[in-house]
Amino acid sequence: MAGALGGLVSLPAWANGWTAETVHSPQQILSRSQTDLLAEFVETIIPTTDTPGAKALNVHQFVQKMVADCYPKPSQETLQKGLDSLDGLAKTSFGKPFADGNTAQRTALLTQLSKSSDTAQKDFYSLVKGLTVRGYMTSEYVMTNLTHYQFIPGHYYGCVPVQPKAVSQTK
Amino acid sequence: MSYFNIDAQALNTYDAIVIGSGISGGWAAKELTGKGLRTLVLERGRDVRHITDYPTTNTQPWEFEHRNQLRREVKEANPIISKCYAFYEGTEQFFVKDAEHPYIQEKPFDWIRGYQVGGKSLMWARQTQRWSDFDFEGPARDGFAVDWPIRYADIAPWYSYVERFAGISGNKDGLATLPDGEFLPPHEWNCVEKHFQKKVAGKYKDRHVIMGRAAHITKPQQVHYDQGRAQCQHRTICERGCPFGGYFSSNSSTIPWAAKTGKMTLRPNSVVHSIIYDEKKGRATGVRVVDSQTKKMTEYYARIIFLNAAALNSNLVLLNSTSTRFPNGLGNDSGVLGKYAAFHNYRAGISAEYDGELDSTTDGRRPNSPYIPRFRNVLKQETNFLRGYAAGFSAGRSSYSDQNAVGADLKQSLLNPKLGGWYVGSHMMGETIPKESNYVALDSSLKDPFGIPQLKIAIAYDDNDDKMVKDYQEQLTEMFTEAGFKNIRVRDSHASPGLDIHEMGGVRMGKDPKTSMLNKWNQLHAVKNVFVTDGSCMTSTSTQNPSLTYMALTARAADYAVKAMKKGLV
Repeated sequence: MAGALGGLVSLPAWANGWTAETVHSPQQILSRSQTDLLAEFVETIIPTTDTPGAKALNVHQFVQKMVADCYPKPSQETLQKGLDSLDGLAKTSFGKPFADGNTAQRTALLTQLSKSSDTAQKDFYSLVKGLTVRGYMTSEYVMTNLTHYQFIPGHYYGCVPVQPKAVSQTK
Repeated sequence: MSYFNIDAQALNTYDAIVIGSGISGGWAAKELTGKGLRTLVLERGRDVRHITDYPTTNTQPWEFEHRNQLRREVKEANPIISKCYAFYEGTEQFFVKDAEHPYIQEKPFDWIRGYQVGGKSLMWARQTQRWSDFDFEGPARDGFAVDWPIRYADIAPWYSYVERFAGISGNKDGLATLPDGEFLPPHEWNCVEKHFQKKVAGKYKDRHVIMGRAAHITKPQQVHYDQGRAQCQHRTICERGCPFGGYFSSNSSTIPWAAKTGKMTLRPNSVVHSIIYDEKKGRATGVRVVDSQTKKMTEYYARIIFLNAAALNSNLVLLNSTSTRFPNGLGNDSGVLGKYAAFHNYRAGISAEYDGELDSTTDGRRPNSPYIPRFRNVLKQETNFLRGYAAGFSAGRSSYSDQNAVGADLKQSLLNPKLGGWYVGSHMMGETIPKESNYVALDSSLKDPFGIPQLKIAIAYDDNDDKMVKDYQEQLTEMFTEAGFKNIRVRDSHASPGLDIHEMGGVRMGKDPKTSMLNKWNQLHAVKNVFVTDGSCMTSTSTQNPSLTYMALTARAADYAVKAMKKGLV
């Protein structure tokens, strides 16, 4: 815990230039192939367009980390089993493994999962989609370049006319 | 006695000892050192230096591995502290973990603690409202607890004194219920909050919606620059520690100020076991300290002692300070020590929506919100419950994006959120009535890791609190309806006492030594060189966030203590 170390380190932690990836080695709950598949899955949810998609922003690593470290234990199984069932569903749906499908085929499969009467499939989809949106919107790239997060606003103006295009700020 | 011991005793002797470095201990340290006293400040937790020891103060949102969500193992290991709104990935280092400092819940009580230099002043909510005579006269008028030995006139100049130094923003509203202070400019309102203010003023003569008075430097004065503090930058991540010193904390203000005098010795990792009472001299002579790292006990000595260990821990220290003269705890001739504890009732809340003012929004962030001072039972008893409640209030514009799609459409939608309507909300801050049956005591067998008896806490709501929750919900619903708010929803969290982090009393002030622990100078009736000026001294709680009152009482008591020392009275 940072608190216990506080008296021993001479540099403040924020001056050490660490990145999220170097602090903890994440508890791996997915195999290499499951991780690769998750990357394709999140990329289908938020694809690369004229800006990077979820895979390029490492959102699949974020999803895995959150499920491993923060979510209730059963969510790990939801994620693992959901990924394991994905290629089978893809073959039924479009005759290829998930990663080999084109955008339309993959998107159609995700839409099918979102409407599935199978609770496990629906839970898997909701879990990954929710975390993908969160991981994407709170990524450095998006907050810095697209939503222009202000770490130090320096002000609060209470009554501002609505701009034609308004982008909200979150803490 | 050997020479060595005489030397050791001299080395460990100061003019004053301050137990605790939180919001009131910091003020005691500043005032006593400022008046020339060599002062030992004992802090049970580790040192936290301003800026240097705020590890997450400049952490960007995306740099938090879990985006500020608590890890599962942290939550599972800390069911109590995990309930606190301010405890998250970026602030874990400033809160006491459940297992480290055990206590006994005779009744459910979530005890939220910050053991470090600065205490909870690092993570507090920074609301600073003055008391008025409607508050100080409450117990006497309504027949509960005991009469306060002071009135507004006694403390008013000390409110001014601490406000100027700490930096309090606010508007001079001219309300008898919430006296004006020495204010820096107030924070801004948004359009819907203004609308609510106008509607409430139009319907009720005695209900006011004002901007909260908050310990934020909105316009720095020389005294703030002298502390090395600058203007608040509206980051609204205060509880991680502020590199600008934009809000008041012991760490940014009083402790470094005291250090600059050269008169302060700050000793972190020093858990106070008890206060030493000398039966022959008839006074306290010092304190017994357990070093939290070595577990070794050392004695320190001083002419006067300020006890500022935070409300419940100050009770614990006195209860554990037994002697032949005081078998039931230091200064406890009356038997009231540990009893008549109280807190603030934060259970109720209300939220709604508003579909007006759609051509306006807000820009930036505000570390504060509007405030509704108590309006119930102010001039006379008018409800079926005693006393009343204050309320926080705020409005904000929502935004949303359609997240049904998958793929490029979803991305497009996420990056182009649409403004929604306004949401409004309020929470209650109710006065609770101090009762003998709400108490803390020492457990007879269980000890903490330092060999000190664990504290048993028996503090609970009563029927008066339930009635007040109901009234708050009804009255705020009426006010929200008057303002045209829609989809009004009330709630009662039924949260245990403690989460308000406004526990008070147990060492109450009073006029009569037979029914109180402290006199009007926060001095133990029976041990004149011991002063208790944190939340434990509170005779009643009223509805205001209490820290400003602790600061003022501390500065006032320190002034008296030093004058009394010079006259040979203590």
